Amino acid sequence: MSDQPASAASPTVETSLVYAHGLAAIVTLLISVGFGVLASIEMLVPDLVGNTPWLTWGRLRYDHTQGIMLGWLGNAFFAFLYHGVPVLTGKRVTSLRLGQWIFGLWNFAVVAPGWILVLAGFSQPLEWAEFPLVIDAFVVLALILALVQFLPPFFSRGLEDLYVSSWYIIGGLVFTLLAYPMGNFVPELVPGARGAAFSGLWIHDAIGLFVTPLALAVIYFVIPAATRRPIYSHFLSMLGFWLLFFLYPLNGTHHYVFSVIPMSAQIGAITASTLLGVDVILVVANLLLSLRGAGLIPRDPGLRFVATGTVFYLIVSIQGSVQAQMAINRAVHFSDFVVGHSHLAMLGFATFAAAGGIIHAWQRIPWARYNATALEWSYWLLTAGVVIMVSDLTIAGLVEARIWQSSAPWMESVRAARPYWLIRTLSFMPIVTGFLLLLAGLVTGDRGAGLRRVQEEIGLQPVEEIAPRLATEAV
Amino acid sequence: MNRLLRMSYLVAAVAGVGFFVMSILLLGVWPGRTLEHEIRTMSPRHPLALTASESRGRKIYAREGCAYCHTQQIRYVASDVARFGKATLAWETIFDYPQLWGTRRIGPDLSREASVRSADWQLSHLYAPRALVADSIMPPFPWLFEGAPDRPKQEARDLLDYLETLGRDRALAAPEGEAHALAACNNCSDDEKRFAFAPAVLNANPARARRRGDSAHLVPSNDLARGQQVYALYCATCHGARGNGDTPGAAGLHPRPVNLTEQDYTLGRLGFSLWNGVAGTAMPAWRELGVDDLSAVARVVRNFQPAQAEPSIPAAVLALGERVYAARCAQCHGEKGDGNGSAAGQFPIAPTNFRAQRPSIAASLRAVRNGIEGTPMAPWTNDLPEAELSAVAYFVRGFWTGGPNQ
Repeated sequence: MSDQPASAASPTVETSLVYAHGLAAIVTLLISVGFGVLASIEMLVPDLVGNTPWLTWGRLRYDHTQGIMLGWLGNAFFAFLYHGVPVLTGKRVTSLRLGQWIFGLWNFAVVAPGWILVLAGFSQPLEWAEFPLVIDAFVVLALILALVQFLPPFFSRGLEDLYVSSWYIIGGLVFTLLAYPMGNFVPELVPGARGAAFSGLWIHDAIGLFVTPLALAVIYFVIPAATRRPIYSHFLSMLGFWLLFFLYPLNGTHHYVFSVIPMSAQIGAITASTLLGVDVILVVANLLLSLRGAGLIPRDPGLRFVATGTVFYLIVSIQGSVQAQMAINRAVHFSDFVVGHSHLAMLGFATFAAAGGIIHAWQRIPWARYNATALEWSYWLLTAGVVIMVSDLTIAGLVEARIWQSSAPWMESVRAARPYWLIRTLSFMPIVTGFLLLLAGLVTGDRGAGLRRVQEEIGLQPVEEIAPRLATEAV
Repeated sequence: MNRLLRMSYLVAAVAGVGFFVMSILLLGVWPGRTLEHEIRTMSPRHPLALTASESRGRKIYAREGCAYCHTQQIRYVASDVARFGKATLAWETIFDYPQLWGTRRIGPDLSREASVRSADWQLSHLYAPRALVADSIMPPFPWLFEGAPDRPKQEARDLLDYLETLGRDRALAAPEGEAHALAACNNCSDDEKRFAFAPAVLNANPARARRRGDSAHLVPSNDLARGQQVYALYCATCHGARGNGDTPGAAGLHPRPVNLTEQDYTLGRLGFSLWNGVAGTAMPAWRELGVDDLSAVARVVRNFQPAQAEPSIPAAVLALGERVYAARCAQCHGEKGDGNGSAAGQFPIAPTNFRAQRPSIAASLRAVRNGIEGTPMAPWTNDLPEAELSAVAYFVRGFWTGGPNQ
């Protein structure tokens, strides 16, 4: 045991930025969930907000997903990167000052004004791209600054023996920067069906090139760091990485199956979607094998969130492969089945991974508060909430699909979905409570309690021992 | 060795960017070229671009997230085509910067919304959706209006104008446009031909009102319970639970929904109106309900009329009424009262067919005196003396050919 747990955890981590982004992540998460909950209540009580344009369903819906993607996951990944990059490379990120700029830009030039502009009626009607163009400019600027902030440590360390998390971080940051303008700007310039082909690419790239790589970077990082054993197979990790970056971008057109977009492109995307499911089985098998001994519900809270996120990742990916198939897509496309799928991806897989990453990094900030009981409850409530909501929406989608296939009046499908929408709204109770407890877990309790717990349970390791484990080719 | 490794990572980096570029080329640029060719060869020569008002309406549609519940894309699958019409061709969305295809469909698809419903229906529905569609979950947009559904602000009018562009170009191009597009469709698969060209109607929306068309053959129904259920779900918002047409939803509609307690209808007339709607009015068609339910609804509608003994009208009054009718009414309502007068075709709303529909004496007098607001039926108080007004109001009721089983 080290006498100086702080420096032993990692001497070069900018803990103030981990803390700031972690807190911003959870605050923006709660606000984004608030938008979603209110939108879901409006589906049950459509006259709720009456004559208040800025609270109308469409605008809340735009802010909900943009807030989750950029506010919550964006901040959460940044928080993790400020811990993970120095540990992985043994080097500082480029600059604390730059980090403060990125924090300010991301939260006060992107997320907050984006929300306000959408509510005020300035937006674009493109999925995962609803913030107006002026905000997109700041996103691109912040992404460029993030490359300046996080990539130099990798290059100065040398690329020869990069751990797979590093690859996912580099890939995620670089390809998000490339894909973001394509999804946000191209459909404004290329109309109709041709623009939709690019929108389809972006809908999947937002998930496949931004959310998934960074969430997997967290998972691949936390598992060996918390279990204190190397990843099961470095070869499988890298194989999974390359297949993922090959296949994910090729999935896009599966959002427009049976559209006028050429059938060969559709079939290509469906094929890639199928193969992607296979790739994810490979990735998750490697991850679950690495968890051997820790169990599927490990004691360490960060690891526990990450492990459950891994299981959600498997389920959501197989579900995605299945619903891309024409026979399934024909029926369930446009229905709540897809809404369930996206919640399993964002609220199940990505949120659990991101929360695990924050908790893991937080525990290793020596002055941060930490409340293990709150995190324990948070985990169970969130798991219950995700399971209830996703099962409910999946069934709702099947019910809607069945009615659409029949000759019943359209309104029958709306009436049939109502009880499911009610359950979906009620599922906010465990979810919001879970998120509040996640916040409580990080801002209540004793200062340094997280670090003490790490020391008591698995013993704190100096970074010199962690970093090589994350870097060497084991097995 | 180190240098070699460094090279291999360079190769990997290039390959990674290569994957990304390949995805854009394969799924963005290359399909775009195919689509561009399709658009060039299949589009009508002069598709109508959006006017200033329509463009503003499109921005409002985008701003309020309409596309997140209403798709604008009829897929190449049987269930989509059956509900909404011929599958969407590439050229139909060439003015969409950015596209509004949508990926979720809570409300119906709107690709062919133009001409499905009347302007007063659309405005009333935007103002207060549930006033017209029971159980709808659409948000209301009252801030686009000056406090009433028939007092739209410019924004509501723009949005309405935009809705009237949806599917307009394809409708205008037909049938020569369809033939031209089909001829250019040399690489089309059988499925494309089957869903984009073969369907009999371009716009299959079961609510689209039409002036002519086949009719539902309704049968006398005893299923009053089912009829009341269907009536409550689909008819009561406008016509009222008791059929008197005095509802909040009716307030913005011109003409107002018929007061069903004041009209006798033959089964044939109800069959036509329910199956085809009443073109030119807010009354949509109800083809999605099917003949059994419509027969049951007809039973409910016919039950609204109170059974009353017909008053006997003196022969001299009827003779006066007949003369006035021939001089003033027959041009539109037809010599035999069947609504097929020589001028009938000029009007957006068909004149009443008195053989199949009999207004009560009160309704008949009111119509002759005051006209019917929102229809071409003019008030006659300034042109005809009171004796002639009442005489013709009595006379038209005599055309009635209906009865309990007809």
